[in-house]
Amino acid sequence: MKLSLNWLKEYVDLPDGLTPEKIAHDLTMKTVEVEGIESLSDKFDQMVVGLIREVLDHPQADKLKIVMTDIGQSDPVQIVCGGTNLAPGQRVAVSLPGSMVRWHGEGEPVRIKATKLRGVESFGMICASAEIGLEDLLPEEQPNLIVDLSFLDHAPGTPLADALELNDHIFEVDNKSMTNRPDLWGHYGVARELAAIYDVELKPLPQADLPSEDGIEVRIEDQEDCRRYTALTITGLENGPSPFWLKSRLAKVGQRPIDVLVDITNYVMMATGQPTHGFDKDHVKEYIEIRRGRPGEQLELLNKETLDVGPDNLLICDAKGVLGLAGVMGGKLDSIYPTTRELILEIANFHPRLIRYTSQKFNQRTEASTRFEKSIDSQRIDQALGYTAHLLQQLQPRARLVGLTDNYPVKTTPTVVVVEKDFFDTRLGRTVSTQDIEQALVKLGFEVSLKDDRFEVTAPSWRSTGDVTIKYDILEEVARMLGYEAMSFVPPVIELRKAVRQLEHDVERRLREYMAHNQSAQEIFTYPWVKDELIEAAGIDQPAIELEAPPAPDMKRLRTSLIPGLIGAIGLNHHYLPEFRMFELTQVFLPGAHSPSTPEEVLPVMERHLAGAFVASQPIELFRQVKGLLEDMPRAVGIEGLSFAQVEQPGWADAKLWLNILAGETVVGALGLLSLSSAKSAGIKRVQSVLFELNLEQLKALPSRENTYQALPEFPLVEYDISLILEEDKSWQQVEQIVGPMVQRIEFIDVFRGEPIPEGKKSLTLRVWFQSKDGTMTMEQVDKRVHAIVGQLKKRLGASVRGME
Amino acid sequence: MIEQLNQLRERALDRITQTASLDELETVRTGMMGRKGELTALLKGLGQLEPDMRREVGQLANRLKDEISRRLEERSQQLLAQASVINEPYDLTLPGIKPSVGGLHPIQQMRYDLDDAFLSLGFEVFQEDEITSELYGFDHLNFPPDHPARESMDTYWLKDSNGKSGADRLCLRPHLTGASVRYLQQHGAPARFVYPGRVYRNEQTDARHERAFFQYEALIVDNDFSFASGKLLVETILEKVFGKPVEVRMRVGFFPFVEPGFEIDMQCQICGGVGCRLCQHIGWIELMPGGSPHPNVLQAAGLDPDVWSGFYVNIGLDRLVMMRYGVDDVRLFHSADLRFLRQFR
Repeated sequence: MKLSLNWLKEYVDLPDGLTPEKIAHDLTMKTVEVEGIESLSDKFDQMVVGLIREVLDHPQADKLKIVMTDIGQSDPVQIVCGGTNLAPGQRVAVSLPGSMVRWHGEGEPVRIKATKLRGVESFGMICASAEIGLEDLLPEEQPNLIVDLSFLDHAPGTPLADALELNDHIFEVDNKSMTNRPDLWGHYGVARELAAIYDVELKPLPQADLPSEDGIEVRIEDQEDCRRYTALTITGLENGPSPFWLKSRLAKVGQRPIDVLVDITNYVMMATGQPTHGFDKDHVKEYIEIRRGRPGEQLELLNKETLDVGPDNLLICDAKGVLGLAGVMGGKLDSIYPTTRELILEIANFHPRLIRYTSQKFNQRTEASTRFEKSIDSQRIDQALGYTAHLLQQLQPRARLVGLTDNYPVKTTPTVVVVEKDFFDTRLGRTVSTQDIEQALVKLGFEVSLKDDRFEVTAPSWRSTGDVTIKYDILEEVARMLGYEAMSFVPPVIELRKAVRQLEHDVERRLREYMAHNQSAQEIFTYPWVKDELIEAAGIDQPAIELEAPPAPDMKRLRTSLIPGLIGAIGLNHHYLPEFRMFELTQVFLPGAHSPSTPEEVLPVMERHLAGAFVASQPIELFRQVKGLLEDMPRAVGIEGLSFAQVEQPGWADAKLWLNILAGETVVGALGLLSLSSAKSAGIKRVQSVLFELNLEQLKALPSRENTYQALPEFPLVEYDISLILEEDKSWQQVEQIVGPMVQRIEFIDVFRGEPIPEGKKSLTLRVWFQSKDGTMTMEQVDKRVHAIVGQLKKRLGASVRGME
Repeated sequence: MIEQLNQLRERALDRITQTASLDELETVRTGMMGRKGELTALLKGLGQLEPDMRREVGQLANRLKDEISRRLEERSQQLLAQASVINEPYDLTLPGIKPSVGGLHPIQQMRYDLDDAFLSLGFEVFQEDEITSELYGFDHLNFPPDHPARESMDTYWLKDSNGKSGADRLCLRPHLTGASVRYLQQHGAPARFVYPGRVYRNEQTDARHERAFFQYEALIVDNDFSFASGKLLVETILEKVFGKPVEVRMRVGFFPFVEPGFEIDMQCQICGGVGCRLCQHIGWIELMPGGSPHPNVLQAAGLDPDVWSGFYVNIGLDRLVMMRYGVDDVRLFHSADLRFLRQFR
């Protein structure tokens, strides 16, 4: 919302020396956020009223004129201009060199310079209204017309901002910062805040006598929908343009001037925050009725379209039918016309939720509906009525107020709140005097009385429509008026009971750090909604939780696994990088039931998963790297051990290279090479990817470190490599189970196929370490142990040993 | 003979000084003192001298032997100190070998930085599920029944939630605040805890708007906790993020779940408060909302608002990270683009 500082000053005498910046700052700190200040006089810098003395033809150009213009200096200045309505004696807007104008009202503003136009000196520019941002205030009737200011009687050379009453500052207020304050949606409400902030008087709004006779009959179907409806009947009107001051005021706060009757209704709204609405009296038949729509009912609009209205909508009707949507917009018959001579002026109070619903349904957010939906007090109608009458008296001296109907079933009840005095002290963290509390509240319109250390606070009607209800609201009023800026920090005093101990959380963090820092993988974030094509590429065929209104039609399913997101990320990154590692740790969503807080709330099952992808060119090496990271992980992050077996092949995994991850007997995840078909569906070429996924909810965190120290060897270890020739179906695991117990340590070195190894067999090389408790081992002792091992392998696996046949 | 010894001395010392490597020095040593060395040969010739000469020359020869040995050792120390393992020349401006490194997501880094700060103050870390209900997302938080955030234009409701309400109407959580009620219901008061996490809003996205973003919320509940003490939370966050004191201001703000509520602004770090494009010429940047939990929220959490009060702050980590590194498009955080993410490790 835009606020004019001059307009505010009409209701409150601000102390001398306050800059607009200071006022904006204080409003921001205490009341509403001022997002910007616009100085209009800066905008019109170096622009003056000019009086045309003479218009001469341009020797070089038919469409240009040489205009001798009086700008209050001793001699007229020469300006070249293409306007078609130039005439001697006319007053015009002159932009002198140094001013900023928008060329033909388009593009960025440019700076005017003294220049030559087609060989003739030109000292400035005579402007069209759009060129200096006056299109709302002084609309152009046709193109190529300069703005004619002859209706103003200002001397040549008068600064344009003064002449147009634009010597003002405009505050742009963040509407979101005052959704809870219906009283601030007009200048008077903000002026009241300024009066309280600077401790000065708020002036009463202008009022005028109202008729004592009844006007048109007003029927209210339900007093909850419409708590008050006043209809003022006015005759003897002569509609036409508003006086310039009124147009200027409205244009400055973003309201386009229309004609005097419409402008008065808008002016009253911008002043008081109370919307008002006029009906040409000729269009209203017999009575006005405020009622809900009936099934099948329609409202005809000015543009001949119709709206289907119903029982959810509040309507203004007469004896013949629907006139308009209450508080939102009028229909075809509900309007002020240039010819209007008799008017019925509505100033009413409607239920905020109905207005909000209707304006949303028909996508009509108007200045009026925005205010009504904030919930306005019914007393405010009195201010608006008086102000309207006052303006009519001033601007339409022949108008007669002939009748006033005030159907007033429900008056807004002022809220009464009782607050203990020490409540302020404890919550503010300092002692506040009774006087400070009273002063802060009274200036804002609250009534305060103190009995036995308890304040009884009565809120004004304009704060009693939901904004102020409990003592905490009163606390806020006092706190903001005292100023949060002035509040110094009070260190809290706390009781220490025990150290924070959160195993699950620690494991989660260690897992991330293990992946990032030990395994050189980059953490990624992906969205919880996953593209259908990625779910399909991952071969996942399980029910998922879906969104009602997803970001895109093909992203309605929430992830049940982190693999599709990783596949998508591989697809993206493999275009730029030949090798990379990444991981993600977050929640997945599965159909099921789970109640974390209360049995009445049943949520789907949510599990934290960790998934990772290693991408490079060698699939087997990648597979062993990923298996290695999983083997090492339990010890590194402090969880119970994991084992591996093929139980259930993941949909995305290669036919051979995959394993499930087990904690005890339970499958808690899988690792595997991304299958050819998954890679193809995801558009992944040239690189190989090994992925894994692990369900953290199934991992058991160890309360502390469980591994123990092993004494260092007293005598040197002896290292020995053995190359076995084995049938293909014999596994490393089998070899390890036999050899492991016979040696100090065993390691896999490599596996080899092809010449000279016979078809169907493989050569497996392992390295073992021997140690003796009695001393350094001799060659004979080592040979003896090796023979024992080979003997066992021969017997149990049919292995032979290369070089030992 | 004495003459010979003196000449030998000069020659030997001269050669030792001129050696350029340990190998050369070794050659000199064997040339003098080896089995066929000059000095060795001279010493062997001692026996043929007259006995009275023998003594004098013998002493001289022994002193010479000691001196040469000493000089050889000294020179060897010198040469060792100058020697290099590398024979070839080496271009020291060649770059180092890049370690293979991964990293945490920049938002995760910021989150753990803040966790550390709050853990040091004895706060617990709490995590709520990402799917919640209208009951915990709105009702418990004092959102009025017709609040716009409850509509599908703002919140990602789950399929089949139409026509349902309260505990039966489920959504991706629109903010973290619902977690505060869950925690307090479980643990009671007094309480000090943080609850970081991702939240979701149904929005049009652009460089400044995202549908999924990361928030960090902290709450203290204690007996008669004054909001003058709430600044502790604000300053803990800012000092951790910026590593230096940052000007902040608290001003009036309205949020359904707090009363009183604040907007907490930080002086613009780009222009130092003078006004620039980033701060829209205000000099301040809106940083986080905060305030005392609304009595209705405390009641929903099972706490008596006349006994307990507290202070919330909630900060959007995406924007903090953007400010920390000068990132200009919020959508990069969920892009999974390693060219972006690797810049922060």
